[in-house]
Amino acid sequence: MRQNLINVSVRQIRQLTPRVREYLLASSDGKRLPSYQAGAHVEVHFNLPESGPVVRHYSLIGGDLLVDDALDTYRIAVQREDRRRGSAFLHEHLEVGSALQISVPMNNFPIDRRGNKSLLIAGGIGITPIMAMLRSTTRRSADFECVYAGRTLAEMAYHEEVMQLAGQHGSIHESGAGNRLDFPALLSKQPASTIVYVCGPLSMVDAVRSAAQQLGWDNSRVRSELFTAGPTGDEVEFDVEIRKSGHVVRVGRDTTILDALTAAGLHPLHDCRRGECGLCPMTVVEADGPITHNDRYLSDEERASQRTLCICVSRIQGTRLVLEA
Amino acid sequence: MSAVIQIKQADTLFEAGGFADPNTPLVRNCWYVAGRSAEIGRDIISRRLLGIDVAMYRTLAGEPVAVRNRCPHRSFPLAKGKLVGDILSCGYHGMQFDPSGHCINMPSMPLAPTNANVRSFPIAERGPLVWIWMGNPDLADEGLIPDTSWLSDPHWCSVTGDFFMKCDYVSMHENLLDQTHFPFLHPGSVGTPEYARSKLDVRQEGDEILLNRALRNSPPPGIYGVPAEVMHKNVDRFSEAKFQSPAMHVAFAKIVDNAPDAGKPSEYRFNITHLITPETQGTIHYWWFNSRDFKHGDKEADDFMYTASEKAYLEDVDALEWILQVVTADEEKQFDLNFAPDKPGLLMRRMMYERAAAEAGYRF
Repeated sequence: MRQNLINVSVRQIRQLTPRVREYLLASSDGKRLPSYQAGAHVEVHFNLPESGPVVRHYSLIGGDLLVDDALDTYRIAVQREDRRRGSAFLHEHLEVGSALQISVPMNNFPIDRRGNKSLLIAGGIGITPIMAMLRSTTRRSADFECVYAGRTLAEMAYHEEVMQLAGQHGSIHESGAGNRLDFPALLSKQPASTIVYVCGPLSMVDAVRSAAQQLGWDNSRVRSELFTAGPTGDEVEFDVEIRKSGHVVRVGRDTTILDALTAAGLHPLHDCRRGECGLCPMTVVEADGPITHNDRYLSDEERASQRTLCICVSRIQGTRLVLEA
Repeated sequence: MSAVIQIKQADTLFEAGGFADPNTPLVRNCWYVAGRSAEIGRDIISRRLLGIDVAMYRTLAGEPVAVRNRCPHRSFPLAKGKLVGDILSCGYHGMQFDPSGHCINMPSMPLAPTNANVRSFPIAERGPLVWIWMGNPDLADEGLIPDTSWLSDPHWCSVTGDFFMKCDYVSMHENLLDQTHFPFLHPGSVGTPEYARSKLDVRQEGDEILLNRALRNSPPPGIYGVPAEVMHKNVDRFSEAKFQSPAMHVAFAKIVDNAPDAGKPSEYRFNITHLITPETQGTIHYWWFNSRDFKHGDKEADDFMYTASEKAYLEDVDALEWILQVVTADEEKQFDLNFAPDKPGLLMRRMMYERAAAEAGYRF
């Protein structure tokens, strides 16, 4: 239920790799933007001509090496996906001076600043929150290790900055030639105080979690940032009918049911936009295709029943979905 | 007592060459005293520090912990919850937080929500004090905690007290750097007329303002002369007062008796430690310690020093509260006059202003 968006404009654009662009977003009124800490992200709200309103989540990088960004500026990095998605739209349409709306910063991925060792693991564009954490650990002279994996060096945004900040505590791993990181080995040499922060593809997060589980680690020692709302590529567009009111709303393949309903003037209950808080599930009356559940809230039985879904992250593989209210 | 005065937060418009006043945004990137070590234990306490309500407790291993005293779910004060082991449990819906503020369980949800974290603050214990950092936590270098080693050094003994004051921290620091008020606001205890007119030597070193005075062959002030038993003679007086940081002022005073009576020392030293933490823009928590290097364990000396110190500080409390009432209530603005003895205070106010401006993103 956060509707107080902030108006910003693009101040600077930098191409970091063939697919990754960095954007400096400055407050439109010149006032300072809300403060945040390492691990925070903002929602970027924009409209796709074909699909309608979309919301994408981008971590705040915080600065350049050890220099913090100005207080009226946020720094994000956007990787263009192969499919025609939100990221491609941003790459094509954002120019210096373009206006955007963003949410206030939210932090689902805070770093523990007590005496423990931090093991920072980034995969691909997952480097963005890890950069902010790396700046924090370096600045505090805290005990840390940083592992950054990507297909090839040329595709890894900020790889030079990572090594400059991390020094001997950093390592770059090119996984291009089927050369996967050995997480059990990496985790088994950690002291008992280590907390792992991992951001990257779901397969990487799962691999780190399962390595920790095998070693008998407490779950709370692995912290991950998961943007579950990110597209997978096989989404299709469909119509949603609200049985009670008779509204019919088109949900584009890049937008969510929640954003499509909101844009249509309906105001469904929601909060987290990441399938966790459990406020947005709606009752399914009919669906002509299977529901793809992307939430972490519903029980296995509820998912299997195909009678409910979290409208912020889940959708159908079909053409028509009827919701009760 | 007067009502707490609400000061309107200034729009953060800073100009080069300005001076901090009661409206200047508080300096946040600084270690402030959160409380006495003895106050922080297994019972959760709360205290508003720099405008933010903070809950504090100690882990089973004895480490102090500070988190925002406000559950991220429905703003229930976490200090009214309970501590089970090292886990703070909200008293409203039972959300559980580890000492870093990370939510590890929400009983009414299938999984602990990843966004349900409560802000934690860097905190560190030094002798009888616990210090907290309310600014950017990445800048909380424990090496910046001011030295107060005499408060736990066996060569020194201290009397101590505290006040809650309805005044701003800038005025409090200015009062502490201003020694010409001693004979008038504190007649008979701290000040003597000769002292007010003695030449002062003021200098700035980094973010510290230092103020030295030497007054030779003159009568001692009661607060030091009585416990040292030198009221019947003239002595040499030396003092160094130091604005250490927005959180602390310290004075190192020395009385030299050039003709000590048989069996008596020729030198008596006093360290006076003032610890100031804004509660809000217009209210402060204030802790004081008056330490001496003689008459250890002497209850009569303790009682005298405690009573004399408290009386003097209460006079300051009254004065500063009256001043803030006038400044905030009076509808016609006044630009206060400044004179030579105000130089240390003005240097402090300029430095505080520059620090606040830097935190607001200004570079002059």
